Amino acid sequence: MTAVVRSELVRLRRRGVVLGWSGLTVLFAVLVNVVVFQVVEPGGAPAENGPGVSFPSAAELLGREGIVSGLGAAASFFGVTALAFWALAAASDHSSGLVRVLVAAEPRRWRLLLGKWTALALATAGATLLAVVVNVLVAPGAAAAGGWEPTAWGQDVVPVVLGAAVDLYLSLLVWGTLGLALATLTRSAGIAIGIGVGWVLLLEAVLGAAVSALRDWLPGTTISTLAAGGTADLSYSGALVLGLAYVAVAALVSGVVFSRRDITD
Amino acid sequence: MTAAVATASLRRTFGSVVAVDDLTTSLPRGGVIGLVGPNGSGKSTLIRMLLGLVRPSAGTAEVLGEPITDPRAYAGQVGALVEGPAFVPGLSARANLVSLARLRRLPVSRVDEVLGAVGLTGRDREPVRRFSLGMKQRLGIAAALLPDPALLVLDEPTNGLDPAGIVEIRALLQDLGRSGRTVVVSSHLLSEIESICTHLVVVRFGVLLYNGTVADLLARAGTHVDVAPEHAADTERLGRVLADAGWHVTTPAPGRLRVAADGDAAAAVNRAAAGAGITLRALTATRDTLESVFLQMTGGDGGEPAAGRAAAARPVPAAAEGGAR
Repeated sequence: MTAVVRSELVRLRRRGVVLGWSGLTVLFAVLVNVVVFQVVEPGGAPAENGPGVSFPSAAELLGREGIVSGLGAAASFFGVTALAFWALAAASDHSSGLVRVLVAAEPRRWRLLLGKWTALALATAGATLLAVVVNVLVAPGAAAAGGWEPTAWGQDVVPVVLGAAVDLYLSLLVWGTLGLALATLTRSAGIAIGIGVGWVLLLEAVLGAAVSALRDWLPGTTISTLAAGGTADLSYSGALVLGLAYVAVAALVSGVVFSRRDITD
Repeated sequence: MTAAVATASLRRTFGSVVAVDDLTTSLPRGGVIGLVGPNGSGKSTLIRMLLGLVRPSAGTAEVLGEPITDPRAYAGQVGALVEGPAFVPGLSARANLVSLARLRRLPVSRVDEVLGAVGLTGRDREPVRRFSLGMKQRLGIAAALLPDPALLVLDEPTNGLDPAGIVEIRALLQDLGRSGRTVVVSSHLLSEIESICTHLVVVRFGVLLYNGTVADLLARAGTHVDVAPEHAADTERLGRVLADAGWHVTTPAPGRLRVAADGDAAAAVNRAAAGAGITLRALTATRDTLESVFLQMTGGDGGEPAAGRAAAARPVPAAAEGGAR
């Protein structure tokens, strides 16, 4: 298992993955902080949420957790990025034919898949750390530029930042595992990313509107709730259990398919 | 010692297409073994089954004495290049090999050894995306050599190589075969197979046509003597003279005659022509090449079988072990 993880980590170190993932993470972390502190008005009406973005309230921004509120607001962006890179890592093995070489060298396919998952989870930890660091560095400047004076930000800053990092990381693991499963099923990064993004931006909204009882149970909502540390509609523990269930189902489906499928790529 | 590869009634179907059909054969350990057959003959499917990539529909097989139902038992002793080299294009050649070495729990020093073996030392820091087809092919062979395999399976190993590279890789494969390793080479280049292989397996439509030494197969190949009279007008008369002397004579081309006889008959043919007052401008004793034998064996079919044809029009298999049908 360790051998599979070490092997996968070498392949993940390619320039396109490192620069692409890091670049998008930095971009979203900067962008969302700038936008949040401009769009949300102190004492004003709550800002209208957009596709993939849920703006915090003014009170939340001024609270001690306000310094990391950008992470929650942009969780879907970070998530889609994670989904895309997990899908890319899995699908490119098929499109390049590398999967032939990997399975011939390590025929225990469950082990191969678990090793890939673990390596991607480690890479995701790196992306999460980067997002948190950039967010913490950018948020004070963005707040000042927006005319905010968040005096409570210095209170319990370590547990606040750590908690936000863990929440974001868990949500990215769910996103990533879904991307891995979609890519394993479709053997195409493009299709997997298309399905993932299309689901979050379109299908889930339509489904949630059509069947309101489903809204809090759907993956996008679950992941957003997990990243936000819980909401009034869905508790953090509920989101965690649901998120783990989605991870388990996605991992099981991709494992069964990968272990049983002929390698003809 | 067990065979390098042994199959018993091995069969694989894809829908209505029978890719490998009731294949029972064994490949000896050591030496370079050619696996040949027209496109769609089941070579790739056979290789994929041996590597654990594709499961058989029926039958059994063993690789290095271990059943293919448990490929992890022999994966560490098998290296393969299947249907072209496959790498991460954005990574360097070295990083790609290091990744595979780690997967196989091999020391990184092994990477330098295989890079040297295929002549890529000095180019190993370059991204694979900048490699030519020939360099990628070399890298693919290097990857297959990583585990220092007892069984090496290479699909079209010289594809894309320049003439010097072809000679180099052929010498490498022959060295590996002589060192006791089993090298299975799947190729469409019969001249390549003839020049480096000691043993040959011929399949068509998933059915075994021949399994034996290249020498045995060529020993059964036909021989003939091609003659051309100095003056084309003498061709017909020369044909009569040779036929009267008891030889079977055909006319492969205007002004040329083909006498079905072994090479030793060339002198007698020459004497017969001279006795009739005909001067020859060409006299060549020729043995059928592996290519012509292969084409006779496979009915000259180089194309892929259609889905229905694979199952319906397949020739009835005969006992092919150790001989051509």
